[in-house]
Amino acid sequence: MAFAESQNPLRVYRIPQSRYIDSVRWLSPVSPSDRFAAIAYFDADTNSPSIEIAYVDPNPQSSSPTLTPQSSWTSPSRISSLRTAHSTPQPLLAAATFSGSLHILASDLINGGVMESEATVSQLGFHSGPVSAVDLREGGIECVSVGEDGRVNLVSFVGDSSKLNYRRIFDSNGLVGYTAVKWASPSEFATGGYGFGIQWWDQRTPGGPVLQFKGNWCQGKTSGIVHSIDIHPSRKHTCLAGGSSGTVFAWDRRAAQQPIVLSGAGTGEAPNSLLSESEVWEVQYDRYTRRSNIGNISSTRILPVMICSEDGILAVIEQGEEPLELLAEPCAINSFDIDRQNPSNVICSLEWESLAILTRS
Amino acid sequence: MPGVSSDSARGALVPLSPESPAAAVYPLRHGLKSPISRLSISWSRGNSLRVSVFAAPSSDGSVNDGDGGKVVEVKLGGGDGEISEAHWRRMAYGSVSPFALLQSRKNAVSSLSKMSMNSSPYDGDWWDYIMEYSKDINALLVNQKSASVPVLDDPKSFITKGEEPTSLKAAWELLEMFYAEKPSHSWLPERLVDWLADYDSLFSGTHPTVHSKLVDFQKELVNLQVVEDDPKYWEVMSSALAVGWLNIVVKMLRLHGSYRLDQLSNRETENGLVEAVAVLISKMPRMRLEHEAGKLGECYKAKPDFVKAWEKWRGQINKLDSSAFWFQCAHQQTREGLRSMLQIMLGNANSLCSATYNWIELYISHFLYMRPLTVGLESMYSLAQKSIQLKPMASAHRLMGLIIGILGENTEVVLAECLKGFGPWMVAHAIELLTAGSDHAEMLLHEERQNLGGISIEELHRLVYAQVLSSFPLTWQIAPIYLISCMKHGMVLLQILLSKQPVQDNQLLLKSIEICRLYELHSVTSNIMKIAGVHHWKHGRKGSGVFWLQQARDEYRLNRIALQLFDSVGKTISDESFKQWEGLIQLLGSDSKTAGGLEFLHKYRDFKKSLRQIHDGKATDSARQAVESLISLMKNPSTPQRFWLPLLYDSLKLLNWKERPLLNVSQTNLLLNKLQELSMARLRPDFIESELPPQALNSVRLALGTNLGRAILEE
Repeated sequence: MAFAESQNPLRVYRIPQSRYIDSVRWLSPVSPSDRFAAIAYFDADTNSPSIEIAYVDPNPQSSSPTLTPQSSWTSPSRISSLRTAHSTPQPLLAAATFSGSLHILASDLINGGVMESEATVSQLGFHSGPVSAVDLREGGIECVSVGEDGRVNLVSFVGDSSKLNYRRIFDSNGLVGYTAVKWASPSEFATGGYGFGIQWWDQRTPGGPVLQFKGNWCQGKTSGIVHSIDIHPSRKHTCLAGGSSGTVFAWDRRAAQQPIVLSGAGTGEAPNSLLSESEVWEVQYDRYTRRSNIGNISSTRILPVMICSEDGILAVIEQGEEPLELLAEPCAINSFDIDRQNPSNVICSLEWESLAILTRS
Repeated sequence: MPGVSSDSARGALVPLSPESPAAAVYPLRHGLKSPISRLSISWSRGNSLRVSVFAAPSSDGSVNDGDGGKVVEVKLGGGDGEISEAHWRRMAYGSVSPFALLQSRKNAVSSLSKMSMNSSPYDGDWWDYIMEYSKDINALLVNQKSASVPVLDDPKSFITKGEEPTSLKAAWELLEMFYAEKPSHSWLPERLVDWLADYDSLFSGTHPTVHSKLVDFQKELVNLQVVEDDPKYWEVMSSALAVGWLNIVVKMLRLHGSYRLDQLSNRETENGLVEAVAVLISKMPRMRLEHEAGKLGECYKAKPDFVKAWEKWRGQINKLDSSAFWFQCAHQQTREGLRSMLQIMLGNANSLCSATYNWIELYISHFLYMRPLTVGLESMYSLAQKSIQLKPMASAHRLMGLIIGILGENTEVVLAECLKGFGPWMVAHAIELLTAGSDHAEMLLHEERQNLGGISIEELHRLVYAQVLSSFPLTWQIAPIYLISCMKHGMVLLQILLSKQPVQDNQLLLKSIEICRLYELHSVTSNIMKIAGVHHWKHGRKGSGVFWLQQARDEYRLNRIALQLFDSVGKTISDESFKQWEGLIQLLGSDSKTAGGLEFLHKYRDFKKSLRQIHDGKATDSARQAVESLISLMKNPSTPQRFWLPLLYDSLKLLNWKERPLLNVSQTNLLLNKLQELSMARLRPDFIESELPPQALNSVRLALGTNLGRAILEE
C-alpha cells in the first residue's frame, strides 16, 4: 500500500459544480476527521450569488471525495473576496462583494453547518465600487478591506451589533488603488496594488502607509498588478506577492527596495524557469513540506510557496529550485486554499465551473 | 389579430398574416401602471431578450410610483429538454481539449504529408486520433444522474436500468460507428443491433417500442400467477427476440411455469420444448468480433465459419419445428408462442413485421434473422427503405432522420439533421468525424462557397457555434479556440469578441488580455487597456486609470488627463495630502515615455520635497537641491505655463536666501525671461489666472531682481 502511494503521491479529484465559483476556502474543522469548505458560487442561469458551507467527505464508498452542502447564504452581489478566520470555535467568514459591501458570517459546524449573517456593512461611502480584497485577523475581531477606490477601511466587530462600524484608515481619493491585503500582526498589514507596489501599514502610525515598496522595479519592461499577498507568521518582515505576467516575488522590508523574484517576468536572464506567463491569482505559503521543519531554513531564504494561475497551473515554488507543478488544467485556476490542519489537502476552483481537491501523500 | 396596423406611422411595422401558424402570445409582467409609450427590445446574454418598457409621462405632470420604465429579461426557450444548461456548458468545456488536440494533430499530419509527397495523410495513427477524439467527446455525453445498479439480481426483473440514455449520445454513437470506426464496416449491422439495445427506449416517447412493451409487462408481472397463460408474455418475448435481446428472452423463458418444481413432473415435454428453444436462442451464431461478457450468442469473426454455424443452427431450428413433441405439448399458449418464436428465428418476414413496432426495430430484425451478411452502405440503405415502406411512421424521430442520412451517404442531410435535432455544438464537433475518412465529404465541407460569403460549410458551423458560446458569460472564453480554427473570418470575429468584453472588473479584463496575448492581438490589447483606463478614470479611480493608459502607452490620453490632474494638483498638493499623491507619483515612475505629460508631477514632487526639508530647518544642501529642481522644472517644456508663477512664488524663500544668492546670473536670467513670457501671455484671453495673492508677480519680480544684483556682485 505504501508502495502504491509513493508511486502516485498526488491524488486529484475534479468535482463539477454547474455554477461558477468565485472563491473557495477551507474552514477549520471541529474534529480532526471533519473537513468543511466555504464556497462562493455564482449561478449564471439565475444570476444569483451565494456562499455555501459544504462537508467534504474525503473517502466515501466510491473512491472520489464528495461534497455535501450543509447550508447556504444568499449574497446581495457577487463575492469579490472571501476569507476565513481559523482560531475561533465557530469559524468566521468575511465576504466582500462587487457592490461594495462587507458581510461577516458565522457558521456553526457542530449543528449541521448552519450559516448566519452576523453583520453587514453596506453604507454608502464604505467603498465606492467593488471591494477588491478583505482579510480577517486571526482570532477574528477585525477585518481590513481595500478597494480600487483607494480606501482602506478597518471593520471591528466586538459585541453583537448587527450593524458594523468601520473606521477609514486611509483614503487616497482614487489616486492609488489597492487590489490585495493581508494582516501581518494585530496592528500591521500589507496592501498591494498597481505597478507591483506594496504598502506596509501600521495602525499605530496613522495617516498613510509607513513603508512603500516601489513598484516599477522591473524598469518599465512589464508592469502589473499584485493580486494576492501572503505573510508567514514566523517571517513578518517578508511580504510574498503574486501578480501579472506570472510574477511571484517577495519583499523583505529589511532589504529596502530590492525584490526577491521567485518566478515570472522582470527576472531578466534569471536561472529559474518561467512557470507561467499569465496572471498569478493567488499565492500562499505552502505549509506542507517534505523536509525538516521550517526553523532550520535560514531566515533569508523564502519558504515554499504555492501559486495558481490563469493558464491553469497550480505549483509549488521553492527558491532556487525547479518549480513543482501539481496541476496543469486546460482552464484557469482562480483560487485555492491549503488546509491549515492538514496541509496535504488543497482545494481549488477552476474556471470551468468545477472544484478540484488534491491530496498529497 | 394582434399586431396588424394599417397606420405604419404609429410604429407597428410588421403585419401578422392571419394564416401564419399559431403566433403564440405570452403576457409580459412589467408592473407599470401608466400606459406604455415606448418599447425597446434587444438581445441580452444567451437566449435572453431584454425588453425595456417606457411609461408615458402622466398628463398632469405629477410624479407617481411606477412612472418611468422597467427593464424585463425574457428567457426564450428552455433549450433541449434532455440536457440542462449546466450540462450543456459542461459539454462545451469538456470538448475544448479534444477539439484543440485534434486540430493540432491535423495540422501536424497535413504539414507532414506536404513534406513527403507520397504518403496519404490518412493512415497510420490517423484513425487512432479520430477514435480518441470521438471517445473523449462521447464520454462527456454521459448523463450525470445515472441510476444506481441494484446489488441483488432479481429473477423477475429482466430490464436493468442503467444510465438514462440521451438522444445526443445515441446520435454521437451513430456517427462514431459509421465515420470513426472505418475499418469495422463489416460489423456495422451488429453494431446497430447493440445501438438499438441501448437506445430503443428513446423512441418510446412518441411510439410504442419493444422497450416500452417490456417495461409495461415488467410492471404487470408482479400481479401474474401463471405467466404462460398471458398472451402478452409470448408477444413481448417474440418482440425482444426479434430485436436480438437474447439475454432478456432467455431470462423470461425461465419464468415459464413448467420450470416450477411442483409442476416439472407433469409438464416434462412442455418444459423440454421451452428449454430447447432457450438453448437454441443462447446458441445463436453472430457475425461479430466479440461479445460483452455474459451476453448470449456465439461469435464468429470469419465469414465461412459463420455461414457454417448459421446453416447448422437453422437446421436445428427446423428440426425442432418439425418434431413430434409439439403434439405432446398440452399447453396451447406455450405451443403457439414457442413456434412463433421459432418462426422469428427462421426469419419469417411476417413474424418479424408483427413482432416489431417501428421501422428501425424491423430493420434490425432483418439484419439478425434474414440478412446477417449484409455488407456495404448501399445495401443497408435499400434495406432501410424497404423497412420504412413496411412500417411507415407519421412523424419521424430526430435519430431516424439522422440514420437515413447516414445510410444514404448524404453528408448534407446528415449535417442538416444534426443541426436541426441537436444544435450547433453537435454540428461543429460532428464535422470532424464526417470529414475524417471521406474525400468527398471533405471536399464538400471545405470548399469555399460564394453564397456563404466565401467561407466553407465547416467554417460556417464553427462560427455559428462560436457565436453561441460568445453570447453566454461563462462560455465566451472558449469561443476563441473555435474562432482561430476558422481561416477566413475567425480572427476578425475574435477581435470583435474581445473588444466587446466588459472592462469594469479587473479579473475579467485580465482574462481578455490573456487571450489577446495568446493570439498576439497586440492592438486589441492596447485598445482594451485604453477603454479600461478611461473607464476607471471617469469613475474616480485615477490610479487605475493612469496604470492602464500607461500599459497601453497611450500618450495622447495621458496628456489629456494630465491637464485634469494639474488642476487638482494646484489646489491639493499641500503637506497633508502629500501621502495620497505619493503613490500615484511612484506609479508614474521616472520613465517619462510612459508617463506622458505626467512627468511634471514627478519633478514637482521632488521640488516640493526639498522645499519642505528647508522648512524643516535643514541646511543649504536642500536649498541647493530645490534650486536644481526649480530650474529643471522651468526649463522643461512639459511644465504647464500656469504653474510657472506658483512655482516661483513657492521659491521666494530660495530667491531671498539670506546667506548668499543661490541662483547664478544665467539661472536668474532664465527665470526672468520666463516671467516676461508670462506677463505677455497674461494679455491673451485664454490665460488662466492662478489663485495667488495679487502682489505675487511683483514680489517674485523684485526677488529675482535682487538676486540678479547679488549674483552679479558675487561673480
